Amino acid sequence: MPKKILMAGNIAIAEGAILAGCQAYFGYPITPQNELLEHMAKRMPEEGRVFVQTESELAAISMLYGAAAAGCRAMTSTSSPGFSLQQEGISYMAGAELPAVLVNVMRGGPGLGNIGGAQGDYFQATKGGGHGDYRLINLAPASAQEMMDLTMLAFELADKYRNPVVLLTDGFLGQAMEPVIIRQPVTELPDKPWAITGAAGRPKNVINSFEMEPANFQPRVSLLLQKFERIKQNEVRYQGIHLDDASLVIVAYGSASRSALTALKMARQKGLRVGLLRPITLFPFPYQILADLAQKVSDFLVAELSSGQFIEDVKLAVGLDKRVELASQYGGVPLAPETILETIERMSKVTIGR
Amino acid sequence: MTLDTPELDTVLYHKPEALEDYPFHFCPGCGHGIVFRLIAEVIDELKIKERAVCVASIGCTVTSYHYFNFDGLESAHGRAPAVATAIKRCRPNLVPFTYQGDGDLAAIGTAEIVHACARGENITTIFANNAIYGMTGGQMAPTTLLGMYSTSTPGGRQPSRAGYPIRVCEMLSTLDGPAYVARVSVHNPAAVRKAKQAIKLAFRAQLANLGMSLVEVLSPCPTNWRVEPVKAMDWLVEHLLPQYPLGEYKVIPAVADLKKESRRA
Amino acid sequence: MHEELIIGGFGGQGVLFIGRLLAEAAFREGHEVVFMPSYGAEKRGGTVWCHVTISDEEIGSLFITKPTMAIAMNSASLIKLEPMMKPESLLVVNQSLAPQEISRADIQVVSVPANDLAAELGDSSVSNLVALGALLAGRPVVPLASLTTALEGMPAKNKELLQLNKRALEVGYTRAQKDAVPHGRR
Repeated sequence: MPKKILMAGNIAIAEGAILAGCQAYFGYPITPQNELLEHMAKRMPEEGRVFVQTESELAAISMLYGAAAAGCRAMTSTSSPGFSLQQEGISYMAGAELPAVLVNVMRGGPGLGNIGGAQGDYFQATKGGGHGDYRLINLAPASAQEMMDLTMLAFELADKYRNPVVLLTDGFLGQAMEPVIIRQPVTELPDKPWAITGAAGRPKNVINSFEMEPANFQPRVSLLLQKFERIKQNEVRYQGIHLDDASLVIVAYGSASRSALTALKMARQKGLRVGLLRPITLFPFPYQILADLAQKVSDFLVAELSSGQFIEDVKLAVGLDKRVELASQYGGVPLAPETILETIERMSKVTIGR
Repeated sequence: MTLDTPELDTVLYHKPEALEDYPFHFCPGCGHGIVFRLIAEVIDELKIKERAVCVASIGCTVTSYHYFNFDGLESAHGRAPAVATAIKRCRPNLVPFTYQGDGDLAAIGTAEIVHACARGENITTIFANNAIYGMTGGQMAPTTLLGMYSTSTPGGRQPSRAGYPIRVCEMLSTLDGPAYVARVSVHNPAAVRKAKQAIKLAFRAQLANLGMSLVEVLSPCPTNWRVEPVKAMDWLVEHLLPQYPLGEYKVIPAVADLKKESRRA
Repeated sequence: MHEELIIGGFGGQGVLFIGRLLAEAAFREGHEVVFMPSYGAEKRGGTVWCHVTISDEEIGSLFITKPTMAIAMNSASLIKLEPMMKPESLLVVNQSLAPQEISRADIQVVSVPANDLAAELGDSSVSNLVALGALLAGRPVVPLASLTTALEGMPAKNKELLQLNKRALEVGYTRAQKDAVPHGRR
């Protein structure tokens, strides 16, 4: 019997990383992810692995770059303002094709914002965030169990594509305690013949993201773009609930999808045929799944903890002829199921498109 | 008078094995090439080419990894000490060193170098100080002298507007973490020999797990100083040396013991 | 079963501890649970909340907007909780620190002088467990024995404190079961 225990989301991420064979962790204190850093401070040395509390998020991402370059599975975790600081190193890692896991336990922004949960870093995380032409794989857990499972998947995908992977979550999921089944540890880590391990018995290895001549650099970027296309083809993940008979589909990820699930149940009790589509990968975004749904559904309701970021991708997927409405909170305020339900009821009274 | 000439097949001076057969792209009279050669000689002599890792930083030496015949990587501007920290922590058998300029280390990367020193990371930093930004075209560096011309201090650096130069060795040697901090120069052969001794000691300190070692090398930038290469050496002596005195700023007892050992040897 | 509990009080009253304890016990009983602590900048004495959802179905929202149960450990939290309560819900009030009248007539109120009872046990810091015991008497979401088992699994400073905690639970439970004090004028 696998062990099942009650665990906070932040701790589930930390333990998931350890199970996935994370050899090094670097972090700087910031609420609401401190439990993760503190847990790693205790657990990584216990496991004989590397833990460094860094002088800044800039140093954390640079250490992550160094550890990834050295061929180690490595992770950093932060929250929104720290994630902004990390954009520099993230762009370098994407350019140098270094695999690593970045956790962003989002909080209210912009600016210093506050320590409530939010999803306001959606654009930043999924569209690039740093300079240059690159994308990051983005995984969006919606429970403590997924905090563990998707952290483990993040390490797999990072190595598979030699690309940084973001675990994009929020302060609410980070703090919430839920039952978590402890997974089996990963015992075999992939070979990384490209890594910085010392030029003994092989030609030297060089890790960089730089070509002086634009004509030489463009082919390199083209290879990156081809990789992102492969990711789009192969790695879309989502969960659908009651989609078969739905006349209105809520689209939500992360903790917003939890409020959406409650709203869905309330709506179904009132006889409203509501479904839920929950993207698990935000990049690659499940455009095609939504486009297919839009063949039979005209009403979409986007629930997000930001002021209308995620909705842009939904609109892009379903097309301009569909009704897409927003139920949102932002600035660190949780999204009440009742708020979503009100929008469902309003939309259901005045139907369009059928 | 007869000249005592060596046999023709006796090699007196050769390219270190740790250097690639790859042309330096530096300007004529630049000091970086000298320092690179010294590092390569030291790596040969210590027989650590298979463990050495060059952590290049941003500036004229961004492609350092091209010149060395061992593993190397690029790092973001100023972040090389953090990158080297992770490499050493993850693979303690490797011998990472950062090669950083004055803009990289003493401006944008102050936090990273200070904290790598404070943690006493077991890495080595070679800090080339030419008191100017090279690659971007001669703007004021944190080490630019008062009154010195740069493209961003057109009337000369005025403290009222642009503050004062930073003395890196003096500052970092106040910390408990570093094992060895020294300032050397490459303005003449004697200075070059001393510079090599310091670089070698810095690497030996790392190999003995003694903590952070940093060697600041005063290095000419004739292009951006706007003087001829030979005159740049004189300019360095005349202007940089008074502001940045050469010498060892921190030598912990264990490093002093290493020095004694090499004198005996 | 589907219960949604909010606990409110001062920092230091052990609000998070009893929420976590109940969540742990319910989890061990085989229910789905979510324990959602409120968190804020580190400050002693500020208002602390936690939300505990216990269900036999997959739990959606992490937060509770209309609680089916609540514990008000102080006056400030009672003021916020009373209007939120779902009709027919159970509100446990720590009468020692929240003596005000309650106007809602459509909810069940259990008042216990939790601090006074805890003080009688020798340590007013276990008032939280007195209140939790009272909640269980009002609505047996988990067996009392399951709570004491869970208590043994929680980090405790020492054995004596563990025993004291158990006694506090029992005192609250017994008091609420036998002679719940009518709270003010209903």
